[in-house]
Amino acid sequence: MTTDVTKAKILVCDDSMMVRKKMRKLLTEYGFTEIYEAENGEKAVEKFVELNPDMIFMDIVMPGLTGIEALKIIKTNSPEAAVIMATSVGTEGNLSEAIKLGASDFLQKPIDGEQLFKLLDNYFKKEA
Amino acid sequence: MLTQFFGSYLLNNKIVSSKNLCEALEAKDKTRVKLGVLAINAGYMTAKQVDAVHKKQTTVDKRIGDIAVEMGYLTEAQVDELLGTQKTGCLLLGQALVDMGCLTNEEFEAVLKSYKEDNNITDADFSKEDNQKTESVISSFYKLKGDYAEYCREYVSILFKNFIRFIGDDFTPLESAECDPSQCAVVQEICGDFCAVTSISADDRACVAFASRFAEEELTENDDYTKDVISEFLNLSNGLYNVNISETMGKELGLTPQEAATAADIEAIKAKKVLKIPVEFTFGKVVFTLAVI
Repeated sequence: MTTDVTKAKILVCDDSMMVRKKMRKLLTEYGFTEIYEAENGEKAVEKFVELNPDMIFMDIVMPGLTGIEALKIIKTNSPEAAVIMATSVGTEGNLSEAIKLGASDFLQKPIDGEQLFKLLDNYFKKEA
Repeated sequence: MLTQFFGSYLLNNKIVSSKNLCEALEAKDKTRVKLGVLAINAGYMTAKQVDAVHKKQTTVDKRIGDIAVEMGYLTEAQVDELLGTQKTGCLLLGQALVDMGCLTNEEFEAVLKSYKEDNNITDADFSKEDNQKTESVISSFYKLKGDYAEYCREYVSILFKNFIRFIGDDFTPLESAECDPSQCAVVQEICGDFCAVTSISADDRACVAFASRFAEEELTENDDYTKDVISEFLNLSNGLYNVNISETMGKELGLTPQEAATAADIEAIKAKKVLKIPVEFTFGKVVFTLAVI
């Protein structure tokens, strides 16, 4: 995975248009230019194969394939993938399952810029 | 949250109209709580004494506090103490209603006293948002007892905290509300040790206003995006509820994806217990339901 914000590809998977819109705005503000969206788990897996993104933000509660199921498929095929679970249901059960399956990090919704940027600082470098 | 239930108390006891209450809720953030209302709340002065001080002020160019001291109603220490008092939402709402002419000082004194007595509330309870008093007011308002009472009370508590955090504190819990069966709704199921169908339903105008506040965008029609925003609010509130239940009760609950429905679909749900949570925001009525299945 690249640590260069200007080159990194980010995939946001959430069934809510509002959340995707807000995430796109915040990620753009952080400096990313290649931001992609998926509205459910199936689409996330498809886009992952197609784009090989450097980071994926994954919701959990979605119609069809859930975020946990999509995480499992992605991590089985690409163990190095950086998947961040971004959900309102950050219960102990969901978190431990996601960590067991290889999720890199977790964001509790509602996502605010400060929380997101702090997390991104651990993975990416911005130009001086 | 005790402020919102004070609004319900005023409404249910027919002390103010729904229209006046909405106007006062809109005005309260710009309202300055006057010494008289603070003195009534503290029990230092009666409404009659406050009225007498106000009357006197029309004839002399002095501050209310100085006149109250001169008339022997307050000590200087009490004036200082009152001016340093936290201006709780309840006092702001009361002052707004007094300023609008909907309540006299005497009526405010009486209703505040009876609200506190009926619910066993002290001034300290008003200053703390997260306390057992709020829980007991919720249980009493929704008559929660027996099976599922704790789950239901937590649901209301989290929901109202989320209103205050994401939508606004200008709402009043209602005892009941009629709604058009065809109006749109969103449902989501909570599943696990405790299973319930939750829903949100409102008319188009209220949906647009509610979604505009949550999305922090100016939305104009109840289109797919607005419905998506409403749906995400329900998902977020339910998610935070599940997190809370997991932390406080050690129970792991799940959520199903949200689905579009109508108010009539919600009425048709066969449930062991149905908790209706209608609320009147200043922009319109929104009805939440927790149907235990």
